[in-house]
Amino acid sequence: MFVTVTLSLLEGFLGTIKLFALTLLLSLPLGLILSFGSMEKLGVIRYPIRFLIWVIRGTPLMLQLLVIYYGPGIFFGVNIWGGSPNGRFTAALVAFVINYSCYFSEIFRGGIQSIPVGQYEAGQVLGMTKRQIFFKVVLLQVIKRIVPPMSNEIITLVKDTSLARVIAVYEIIWNGQAFIKSSGIIWPLFYTGAFYLIFSGLLTLLFGYIEKKLSYFR
Amino acid sequence: MPILEVKDIHKSFDNEAILKGISFSMDAGESVSIIGSSGSGKTTLLRCLNFLETPDEGTITVHGEKIFDAHAPALKPEEIRARRLHFGLVFQQFNLFPQYTALENVMLAPKITAESPDVKQIEETAVKLLEQMGLSDRMNNYPHQLSGGQQQRVAIARALALKPDILCFDEPTSALDPELTGEVLKVIRGLAEQKTTMIIVTHEMSFAHDVSDKVIFMDGGVIVEQGTPAEVIEHPREERTKQFLAGYSSN
Ligand SMILES: Nc1ncnc2c1ncn2[C@@H]1O[C@H](COP(=O)(O)OP(=O)(O)OP(=O)(O)O)[C@@H](O)[C@H]1O
Ligand SMILES: [Mg+2]
Repeated sequence: MFVTVTLSLLEGFLGTIKLFALTLLLSLPLGLILSFGSMEKLGVIRYPIRFLIWVIRGTPLMLQLLVIYYGPGIFFGVNIWGGSPNGRFTAALVAFVINYSCYFSEIFRGGIQSIPVGQYEAGQVLGMTKRQIFFKVVLLQVIKRIVPPMSNEIITLVKDTSLARVIAVYEIIWNGQAFIKSSGIIWPLFYTGAFYLIFSGLLTLLFGYIEKKLSYFR
Repeated sequence: MPILEVKDIHKSFDNEAILKGISFSMDAGESVSIIGSSGSGKTTLLRCLNFLETPDEGTITVHGEKIFDAHAPALKPEEIRARRLHFGLVFQQFNLFPQYTALENVMLAPKITAESPDVKQIEETAVKLLEQMGLSDRMNNYPHQLSGGQQQRVAIARALALKPDILCFDEPTSALDPELTGEVLKVIRGLAEQKTTMIIVTHEMSFAHDVSDKVIFMDGGVIVEQGTPAEVIEHPREERTKQFLAGYSSN
């Protein structure tokens, strides 16, 4: 039984990791773009983006999942996601990407704004372009500063993926819970915790390593 | 022909006039010190020369070429970049790039701004400059491993690496512990002896007296008095200059 359960949970965990990895892959760049938008001088760009970030950060992710999955059907009469597991996964991914882009954008913004203006000015008087200043001078300093808050947020994401089950996306908790119905046992559900622990443990190690790698400067 | 001619520079922030018509000129190889009380607009003037601020009025001419004219159409970013390289700026707070070693700090801009950089040549120049700054044994240190005086000397080397026509210093020793100012003033003195064209904003009166060919006293956004160190520091004619200098001798 233990082997059966482990295999089933591993399969579910694959779904978890897929959601996790795709969310990360998409929301990191999108978050960076949003952070630039939220620091934009033009109010027409800045205010809508700040508003979006406020709404997304001010409401539960669980609610956002439901709105994104059921919303189109309720308001426009079309279920754009379809009822298939793939459709539900896509809906969940969209909700996660929007949510995490907003969180990441605030972390990026904090990191970028914490760089002293003297760094930009030093680059400018040395004849660098804006791009060169960002990529050659500022970026690594920003990365160094955001590693700790990023690591927190990314570990939260690992656990947040379990919320996707409210729209019946197959992930590890879903599979664990299935054993209650099918075999009348509850321990597989509790056992899922071990998977999360190991994964977030690995991530903690990874971020610790990155932090150490970047400790050569201040 | 003077290397630099500044004419009638005006600059306001939030409708408050900070520079109210600054004009001066200097010849190649001269060092000019700018003295004046806090808030008189010295930093703002240097920032205007380095295109970190855009003057509301006035012109800046280098080698007879008008590189800034408030009445001309706004400059494109690439034009600003090309023109500001006539000047170098050493900041009060050094502003070294923390993730690069001393040597990398000096090499970075020449390396990434050149069309086809000759890295070997750039490195040779950088090493020579750091040696000249007395930092032979510190080239591979990161800024946080250096004292303030050492950091400022790296910053000077970094500015010199781009071979500016005119090197500007904004209170290069004000952020330093008193025992570290000497080493920085010494390298600037060395540059003056080599006839580097420099504008030095400083509160170090005896230093200004010794190294400058010309001293400019600013107050309230105008140049009150300018002349040789003997004229301005030893025998000031204007009441405001006398008062300012009296504040120094009594300290
Ligand atoms: N970006 C800015 N926005 C608004 N006011 C400014 C700005 N930069 C400078 N000022 C004001 O301009 C005045 C002159 O400043 P500046 O830094 O040029 O003086 P300074 O002569 O360098 O003084 P210090 O000896 O203290 O360095 C100050 O009153 C300052 O508050
Ligand atoms: Mg100043």
